Amino acid sequence: MAMELVKEKWLNAINKVTIGSTAEEGGSRTKVVTLGGEETLPFLHAEGALPYKPVIAYEVWDTPARDWPEGLSSVYGKVLNEPFAWAKICVEEYKAELLCVRLVGAHPDVENRSVEEEADFIEKIRKSCGVPLIVVGCGDTTKDNALLPVCSQVLKGEHCLIGSVTQDNYKTITASCLADGHNIIAESPIDVNIAKQLNILISDMGMPLERIVIDPTVGALGYGFEYAYSIMERSRLAALAGDKMLAMPFICFVGQESWRAKEARTAEDQHPEWGAVLERGIIWEAVTAAGFLQAGADILVMRHPKAVEIVQKNIEELMGK
Amino acid sequence: MKKFKVKFYPDNKICEVEQGTTILASAISCGVYINSSCGGEGVCGRCKVILLKGNVISQPSGRITLEERAKNYYLACQTTVQSDLEVQIPPESRIDLEKLSKEELDLRLKGLYTKSEELSFSPSAKREKLFQHSPLATKIYLELPPPTLEDKISDLERLYRAIRKIQSVQIMQTGLANIRRLGGLLRSSEWKVTVTLGKRGGTTEIVLIEPGDTSQYNFGLAFDIGTTTISGQLINLRTKEILGTKIEHNMQAAFGPDVITRIIYAQEPDGLEKLHHAVIDVMNEIIQDLTQENGIDLNNVTCVLCAGNTTMIHLLLRVDPTYIRRQPYVPTANFVPTIRAAEAGIKINPRGLLSCVPGVSSYLGGDLTAGVLSCGIDAEKELCLLIDIGTNGEIVLGNKDFLIGCAASAGPAFEGSGVAYGMRAAKGAIQKVNIEPDDYTVKFSTILDARPRGICGSGYIDLIAEMLDKKIIDKSGKIQETKNKRLRKGEFGWEFVVAFKEETDIDRDIVITEIDIDNLKRAKAAIYAGASILVEHMNFNFWDIKKIFIAGGFGNYLDIDNAIKIGLLPDIERRKITFVGNSSLAGARSILLSYEAMEKAEEIARKITYFELSVDNKYMDEYMAALFFPHTDLNRFPSMKR
Repeated sequence: MAMELVKEKWLNAINKVTIGSTAEEGGSRTKVVTLGGEETLPFLHAEGALPYKPVIAYEVWDTPARDWPEGLSSVYGKVLNEPFAWAKICVEEYKAELLCVRLVGAHPDVENRSVEEEADFIEKIRKSCGVPLIVVGCGDTTKDNALLPVCSQVLKGEHCLIGSVTQDNYKTITASCLADGHNIIAESPIDVNIAKQLNILISDMGMPLERIVIDPTVGALGYGFEYAYSIMERSRLAALAGDKMLAMPFICFVGQESWRAKEARTAEDQHPEWGAVLERGIIWEAVTAAGFLQAGADILVMRHPKAVEIVQKNIEELMGK
Repeated sequence: MKKFKVKFYPDNKICEVEQGTTILASAISCGVYINSSCGGEGVCGRCKVILLKGNVISQPSGRITLEERAKNYYLACQTTVQSDLEVQIPPESRIDLEKLSKEELDLRLKGLYTKSEELSFSPSAKREKLFQHSPLATKIYLELPPPTLEDKISDLERLYRAIRKIQSVQIMQTGLANIRRLGGLLRSSEWKVTVTLGKRGGTTEIVLIEPGDTSQYNFGLAFDIGTTTISGQLINLRTKEILGTKIEHNMQAAFGPDVITRIIYAQEPDGLEKLHHAVIDVMNEIIQDLTQENGIDLNNVTCVLCAGNTTMIHLLLRVDPTYIRRQPYVPTANFVPTIRAAEAGIKINPRGLLSCVPGVSSYLGGDLTAGVLSCGIDAEKELCLLIDIGTNGEIVLGNKDFLIGCAASAGPAFEGSGVAYGMRAAKGAIQKVNIEPDDYTVKFSTILDARPRGICGSGYIDLIAEMLDKKIIDKSGKIQETKNKRLRKGEFGWEFVVAFKEETDIDRDIVITEIDIDNLKRAKAAIYAGASILVEHMNFNFWDIKKIFIAGGFGNYLDIDNAIKIGLLPDIERRKITFVGNSSLAGARSILLSYEAMEKAEEIARKITYFELSVDNKYMDEYMAALFFPHTDLNRFPSMKR
């Protein structure tokens, strides 16, 4: 006798979030990306619909990424110093569906670029590539509060995903994104309650729940991976069980975390038994990403095209019905 | 009956007493403190005094050496007044009221507390009428037939016989000190005496025998000994009349804000002693103030009844509380037998009694038992919940069939501590707040309509609810940076001015800071989470509860709706929620006035099951989820949904 599969009945689905808008919709993107909409836990196709596959976004910086380890920077080579060429490679060569533009150079400790310079840069990015955009600030609260509203204005109508806002600093950026029709990244420090509180606060300002993406803050494999995993799992379980204030897709900054790991950076002569450093970094990023897919990640922000390729294949297999 | 004057040195105080009164009682009647650890039993030998002038009758005592006797030393409790006297109190017999160094205390309390003000409020007395009037100590005036050749039973039996004619008392006992004085006293008072009968467990004790008729003058005090505040109420035990109520800060706060830090402090050298003195000093001050205001002789205060959490009762009795804190969290005693008040250092009639409301466990004390008693939950058919909002928030769920309780450590924010301009519910405390939506003008009312001096718990609840409503703060409690003269950045971040300097009585602006809001948020979350876990543990939800009683030292006002808006109380039909004030004090008063109530309290204490929140790992999640106004789960607060 065939074994009957036990199926869970969920009350709620994850919100669908659309990034990008085409010319007909008032933007200038060549296509849009929709994510979320899950009616059950990751990849349990038999239990409910999983209408959209997880999407990988490539990271592009406004300034040369100096602290990237050799294994990572060598694939990009010189373009790491030319943001527009860098973006172009990602889109044309690596077929990026999404670009995650990080305005690192605006940070007072990096290059302290002015808001005007960055606005100009963003405008050029907008013109030079057609994929939907994620724009992330420099991480300095005061600077981001000045910078992101301007970027939001420049990108008005493009339906970007802009971030990040935190519990202590959400008003200014939320207000601009709301006015300019963007989606927003709500960042919480590996804490379900704060994630939820922040979503309530943002939605209290009038932001529709369908325009919020949760950044749960993740760690790489071996650096708090399980912690982040369990927080995402709890959050997703609560959302599926009916909690509308947690029913948002997740964005996971996998690249930035995994390439910080000792295992991705340590030279071969220090640990010959660990194997080739080039492969190690790629594997570390790919495995971390694959893990978070199982926790429910909807957007993976990644760096190495080889790692992306592995994860892309993994996604296809998992989504294949 | 002859009256004599007794003068005490070095106090230079004079009192007038009847012949046959002990020197100890005379001293107490005019507010002169003499050491007396045994409560006038003649055993401890601490109450030595030097007779300078006059005649006395004294029982011989081994406590006075020959050398001392030659210097006219007497035990004050064993010596009765037989003429006008002059008495010197030697330093060793004086009560050292400075045990807790005033300087040290003032320094630690600086800026935290103000001195108490009288406050009249009437906490619930729901069941008071139900219990038979039989106070802890009763006075009866007796005119005994003098012995004759036909009727020659002993003096003591004669006294018992007369008492039993009036009351059916099975087992009676009398201390040796009273027996020693009995023969002389009965004869010198021409067989007209007033006896004070005290209830001590199953027996009745002749606590006191006084010459003449003093049965009119029988007073007692009910106390609620809280971690942060101590409330006392003077009661005429004969008429049940409440003569006055006083609330003071518990000076133990100088050694730590909550029971745990105090238990730790008790382990330091002299720690227990200092904590003990801090609580009895406050109680004695309250007794002193209330009796003086009402012109009552301390000798006529015959008993004290205390309700307090388990740690407070341990410290009151100077019992080491160490084991309350250690696994498996067992107190030394939950049921404390009735003792002499003097043994605990409480200054009333030296032979007067002190009784404590029985507690449930280490973290559920007699204050809660008293609360359940006064709300009558143990007799209710319907499901009830009692939430006592204190430093240690205590919660009981149940009805006549079952009672289960838990304790949630909330901190003292709602009692006005740990918040910048917090104060007790006393004169000048802002207790009611309204904020105008357009320009944030604050309308407030204060207790006794005095100029504002601070904000009390109910004021903070209104304030936060209004600030949320007017969007001055967001749901996480952050002040919104809006341009308004009441909003500014202070030393501790953003603050909102509730009352400007010109309006206040303290020559400073009264403000609420973001840190205050955070502390209040944590306090309300702890209480809500405790209640919610307890209700869930019993497989109920808040909507199943028919009556919720809210107790706490909020003075006489609490806006239930606002308490729900901030998420302190569950969002259920408002009419189901009753604010009962200090239910612990009300319960203590019931018990003071009726032994029947005491028996009921014992029954309740035995019946309550203690539920330990810390073993339930859901508590922390629940608490975290409640750290928001009103809650992160908006489904629990349907009336707050936009």
